[in-house]
Amino acid sequence: MTGPNRRFVSTTVEVEGRVETRVVEVPAVTLAPWDADAALTHVGARAQRVDGLLKAAGRAPYTTDLARPGMAHAVFVRAQVPRGRITAIDTTAARAMPGVLDILLAADVPARTRLFLPDVTYAGAPVAAVCAETLAQAEAAARAVRVTIEPGEAAITPEQALAGAPVRPGLTSNQSGGAPKVRQRGDVDTALATADVVLTREVRTPCVLHSAMEPHAAVAEWSGDALTVWESTQGIFRVRDGLAKALGLPVHRVRVICEAMGGGFGAKNYAGPHTFTAAVLARRLRRPVSCVLDRAGEQIDSGNRSSTWQRITIGARRDGTLVAIDLDAIIPLGIGGWDGGPGDLFHELYACPNVRTREAFVYTNTGAMASFRAPGHAEGAVGLELTLNAIAAELGLDPLVLRERNIATRDQKQDRPYTGNRLAECYTEGARRIGWHDRAGRTVRDGRLRRGFGVAAQVWGTGGGPPSYATVRLNTDGTADVLSGTQDLGTGTRTILAQVAAESLGHRLDAVRAVIGDTATGPYSGNSWGSITVASLTPAVRMAAEEARRGLLEAAAGILDVAVDALETREGRVHVRDTDRSLAFGEVTAKLGNVMIMGQGARGPNPSGTGIVTTGAQFAEVEVDVETGVVRVVTIVAVHDAGRIVNPTLAESQLEGGIIQGLGYALFEERALDARLGLPLNVGLHDYKIPTHADIPVIDGHFLDGADPLANPVGARGIAEPAIIPTAPAIAGAVADALGVEVSELPLTPWRVLGALDGASR
Amino acid sequence: MRLIVNGRPVDADPPGHQPLLDFLRDACGLTGTKRGCDRGECGACTVLVDGEPTLSCLALAHGCDGQSVQTIEGLGDVDAPHTLQEAFVAEDAAQCGFCTPGQLMAATALLARVADPSEAEVRAALSGNLCRCGTHPKIVRAVRRAAATLRTGDAT
Ligand code: FES
Ligand code: FES
Repeated sequence: MTGPNRRFVSTTVEVEGRVETRVVEVPAVTLAPWDADAALTHVGARAQRVDGLLKAAGRAPYTTDLARPGMAHAVFVRAQVPRGRITAIDTTAARAMPGVLDILLAADVPARTRLFLPDVTYAGAPVAAVCAETLAQAEAAARAVRVTIEPGEAAITPEQALAGAPVRPGLTSNQSGGAPKVRQRGDVDTALATADVVLTREVRTPCVLHSAMEPHAAVAEWSGDALTVWESTQGIFRVRDGLAKALGLPVHRVRVICEAMGGGFGAKNYAGPHTFTAAVLARRLRRPVSCVLDRAGEQIDSGNRSSTWQRITIGARRDGTLVAIDLDAIIPLGIGGWDGGPGDLFHELYACPNVRTREAFVYTNTGAMASFRAPGHAEGAVGLELTLNAIAAELGLDPLVLRERNIATRDQKQDRPYTGNRLAECYTEGARRIGWHDRAGRTVRDGRLRRGFGVAAQVWGTGGGPPSYATVRLNTDGTADVLSGTQDLGTGTRTILAQVAAESLGHRLDAVRAVIGDTATGPYSGNSWGSITVASLTPAVRMAAEEARRGLLEAAAGILDVAVDALETREGRVHVRDTDRSLAFGEVTAKLGNVMIMGQGARGPNPSGTGIVTTGAQFAEVEVDVETGVVRVVTIVAVHDAGRIVNPTLAESQLEGGIIQGLGYALFEERALDARLGLPLNVGLHDYKIPTHADIPVIDGHFLDGADPLANPVGARGIAEPAIIPTAPAIAGAVADALGVEVSELPLTPWRVLGALDGASR
Repeated sequence: MRLIVNGRPVDADPPGHQPLLDFLRDACGLTGTKRGCDRGECGACTVLVDGEPTLSCLALAHGCDGQSVQTIEGLGDVDAPHTLQEAFVAEDAAQCGFCTPGQLMAATALLARVADPSEAEVRAALSGNLCRCGTHPKIVRAVRRAAATLRTGDAT
């Protein structure tokens, strides 16, 4: 390979709804995009998940399953009050208990870990860690630690926080940025004044918990001055860098591994208190240490989706054209997190020249928010879509027709075109699948069991982008490895990477293996978040595999004594075009001995001046028992345009998963807080209800055929977050349709449904 | 005490209060059985005790004295998977896979009782096994696929 002629340029990348400008590298090679008609063998195939059997056999190595020789166990002691100052911690009794090895307090940890700070700012905050030979011993000793906290004034609600003193040291205002975040395009007030119809609605959405089945977990082990950490994470490199920084270590002495992980959904993006605790204890004790959150810790202290209060005003013309959208929102963040609010979606889902959002992000003395699958958009969709339904009713328009009249054909947030937006087709196909246009005959508005239908739409930036790297190497027997520092959360990343590499090499799928989840072996790839992994990483894999293929062809050309361009690869063999001469990859590589054929791939920048989004529409049919208030979702139809689908089976799994989480958001899930202590009252999975098998509707998930060759050379976009956004508003809309009464607050528990009915009959 | 774990006798003297889950994972090294909550709420720790689906985080190891315990490792392995495990792979019934062993053990108990379970029967039997990835539709399909295979007799 000749010295690459690289450049560094700026590009915009959208992550978790946030647009960032970054300097990136333009790879020397540009790939001709696979367009919609490209003849592909492995990409687009329903290949089986490569680690499916490992999981079904109980052999997938999760962090919580690791048992390193001599491994000790650490657990946290947590504050039971929301605000105060630690005045004493008595560990005497705990230290004398069987098996106890060490107890960590603030003085024992590097300041940058910010562990066990004397100022308690939310109930559930770790104030000490106890380490023992066994988990049971550590838990018993943790209960014997006596913590004295001088209580302070806490702000549990945003109203209390806005009226009170700073909820944590260092804050000057309990509002992020000191004031609401206001964004406006056009002139909302003037447009509202001249609209034919103007409606205002108030909508509330609940605080919900990620509730991954595998809790946050880290196992740390030192070898000399080098640290290895196994972590259940969405981002091995971010955990590595977080550890290096907090512990003051050079990055190359920290290795982070995540082979298998039991769900993240946004809560596992960084090194956390458990990570630092395991690492510090492992160094002090000179033995491996595991720190796994218990279920209560997981539910209280690993992040949440913020609740929202939204007041939405929409103005429209009589024909349904939207002329103004206005949002006023309060978003309690808890003690930390970032400004992920409902507003973003209001600026982009519907074509509308005048949009204003005013979002107050308020810190309170409760657990911090963390990104949760489509942060902000899932919340915003509830407010926006329910208000749009009200507009439709007011105008006597079908809610679907109203939406079809207001499709955003351009990226209005940045005033630029999209690489593609086939939302109109999603509406049409979804309506056909659920029988939207003849639903009248199936709608039931009297008797005990009512039936109704709802629709909602979705947009989410899924372009991904650089940096993301991969290496593809051919082994001596002709098998191939894809190396990349990404991780598989259960989405099927391993499978997808193997498919793209097999396609680009012209190899058999079973001869390609993805080696991921280890910062020591794979080149950098970013966090698996924001629905960007496929779009960010697969172009790099394709580039690496094509480079390796060129090397293989050059070697084969020498052996076969033909020109390189007389050769092609198919299913693991190099063929001389138009002849029956061929060599298996293994026959070529065997001749090379240990000469390695390797390719390097880097993700190039996104096209400038275009927005890259996944769009889609979901339709819900529900049945409501008006005597008990119980809602049963009968059917969800989902149609999305996510560009090329690399593996339809895996994409459907993810789509169904998002829909089912959205169903929980619509009907069951709500963190209930003790008003005085700010402690969640429903910390267990028994009281905090996530959907179970009994709750699952018929789900008809569908992706539009095609590809988005303008977005990236593979033509793929993401689906993880798009899947959840429209579900709750579609269900809520269907419930309202069934009852003939608007609903304004999620989750639609029986008492809220009965309350909505009561309110209407009064 | 003596119990049978995946067909092999195990003689042990675990601490009196040790949950079966800890005994299996720590003493026997059988980590296929997962700890999702440790309080009987998630089903990830489901094993079979004398054929009955049991939450091993709530059962005491000593309570299984003289009984036969089957874990996911005893159902089948990568080189010799059980029909149910094969069906889970074929239907993509494991996303993150953390709930999967528990789902499979609950399904094993169901199929031992009912050869041709309806969709509703599968859902009812597995409803104590939570899944946050939302793999439910594919899990139900996989269990019914395995049941069909087992009925025709080409099971592994
Ligand atoms: S770990 Fe036993 S039910 Fe959750
Ligand atoms: S597959 Fe992830 S929890 Fe069920």
